[in-house]
Amino acid sequence: MTISLAQSDLAQSGLAQVGRTLLSIGGVVAVWWLIAASGLVNPDLFPTPDAVWLAAMDLYQEGILLSDMGTSLTRAAIGFLIGAIGGVLVGLLTARTRVIGFALNPLLTLLRPIPAIALVPLAIVWFGIGEGSKYFVIAYTVFLAVWLNTHHGTSSVANTYIRASRSLGASTPREFFEVVVPAAAPHIVAGLRMGAALAFLSLVAAELSGASSGIGFRIQEARQFIQTDRMFVGLIELGLLGAALDLFFVSLSRRLVHWEHL
Amino acid sequence: MAANLHDIATSGEVVIQGATIHYQGPNGPVQVLSATDLTLSSGSFTALIGPSGCGKSTLLNAIAGFVRPSGGTIRVDGRPVTGPSPEVGVVFQQYALFPWFTARGNIEFALKRFGLSRAERREAALEALAEVGLHGRAETYPGQLSGGMKQRVALARTLASKPKVLLMDEPFGALDAQTRVSMHELLLRVMDAHRSTVLFVTHDVDEGLVLADRAHVMSATPGRIIDTLELGERRNRSVDKVDTAYIANRNRIMGLLRHREDEPAAALPRRATA
Ligand SMILES: Nc1ncnc2c1ncn2[C@@H]1O[C@H](COP(=O)(O)OP(=O)(O)OP(=O)(O)O)[C@@H](O)[C@H]1O
Ligand SMILES: [Mg+2]
Repeated sequence: MTISLAQSDLAQSGLAQVGRTLLSIGGVVAVWWLIAASGLVNPDLFPTPDAVWLAAMDLYQEGILLSDMGTSLTRAAIGFLIGAIGGVLVGLLTARTRVIGFALNPLLTLLRPIPAIALVPLAIVWFGIGEGSKYFVIAYTVFLAVWLNTHHGTSSVANTYIRASRSLGASTPREFFEVVVPAAAPHIVAGLRMGAALAFLSLVAAELSGASSGIGFRIQEARQFIQTDRMFVGLIELGLLGAALDLFFVSLSRRLVHWEHL
Repeated sequence: MAANLHDIATSGEVVIQGATIHYQGPNGPVQVLSATDLTLSSGSFTALIGPSGCGKSTLLNAIAGFVRPSGGTIRVDGRPVTGPSPEVGVVFQQYALFPWFTARGNIEFALKRFGLSRAERREAALEALAEVGLHGRAETYPGQLSGGMKQRVALARTLASKPKVLLMDEPFGALDAQTRVSMHELLLRVMDAHRSTVLFVTHDVDEGLVLADRAHVMSATPGRIIDTLELGERRNRSVDKVDTAYIANRNRIMGLLRHREDEPAAALPRRATA
């Protein structure tokens, strides 16, 4: 009874969510239209929604729209996987090793402010203009975020959990896998979500300079021909993909660390 | 059966001799427990009563092996305590249930050290839950349980690892008065079956008097035991029966606690010389 109530609540709030989202998108498009149609702005610089729609259809028919998306998403996914797996493993390791924990903070304080875009030239020199340099830039930023969160989550596991586990006779491996890792999981998942957002940012940074395909490249290419409508298409793609990715990670988090959402 | 009884009768004895404990303060080590002697005889139920900050948890944590004494010895059945062990079970005030496991999963965690088959472990966990009246909640996560239910699962989990000594640190401190009384009844009933040696820390005098065979009263700065009361056989008392001996004991402990609170000045010079 209570469960079915909660489910219908959930469905209702889900519907309300979709309604709100549609309403806000509709509002934005309406304002955009008004500004573009008011004659106050140059339509070559600030295209109307229908011009952007036509540009998107063009790109779609040329087969570029989907292939760019595929290319960009593949880069983001591969870079993310390398960075995320590395970040989780290294984070678990550094959190369990006291000596590394001490050296970690100064290191991170130095590394964190370096924006992904500043790494692109170096990555190109090291890994060439191909996919390698993109993977490197994306994996690096993801790695930092995931490492930091994993390290923090793993080293701040509540003492009572550790005490309870030990006085219940758990071995060290069992304490690690059944207590430390799940206790750190909410932080790890938050790190992965942040890493996914960063993967997207550094993907675009890597594609804007030194790429011959992908959404970022297409925006850069459009600049040479002052095709602002195509730039808008690229920007909207990035917005939609980024939002979808974040929603995916939110629902992943609800599954993986379901006890946090009780 | 006879051998079993004999086993139980000769195990779970805690002997503390001259144990002192220091914590690292900002200006060097601070003594929080002055040389303490304490024996918990096998199968006894002892209450440790005292004001906040007097070192009750510190002493309990030392027996649990969480905190190392800076001097003296703590032995369980003759063996010195060197760290946490399933021989000495702990029930924490904050429950310390693992929120990522169900109620059954939490208890199975404690059962894993016995090398049972998966089915046996599951069966034993369900039995342990039934014993604390929660057989219907096996697949519930701690986040969905009330405070009283959580503490019942925690008790069942600790007992599932078959400790010879059970340490409880203000286990019912966060519960409302009514739930607390039903927890007292449950605890006495369950302990009749398990017969571990129990040390029960509380700052609630009535709780200590209702549950224990013996009560130690502690005082702060530095923490020490200032009085010991024999409360008689637990079997002769019940949660809702208050007699004159009970009132006398209560007055004596209340007097001790109030006396100490009235004289903060008496404690200050002692700390200065320490
Ligand atoms: N980890 C620690 N480091 C330094 N000092 C501590 C630490 N834990 C406790 N203390 C100090 O030791 C003293 C005794 O603390 P303890 O927790 O044993 O008291 P308690 O009797 O359990 O109090 P309460 O009833 O509030 O739980 C207190 O003065 C406390 O500030
Ligand atoms: Mg305490």
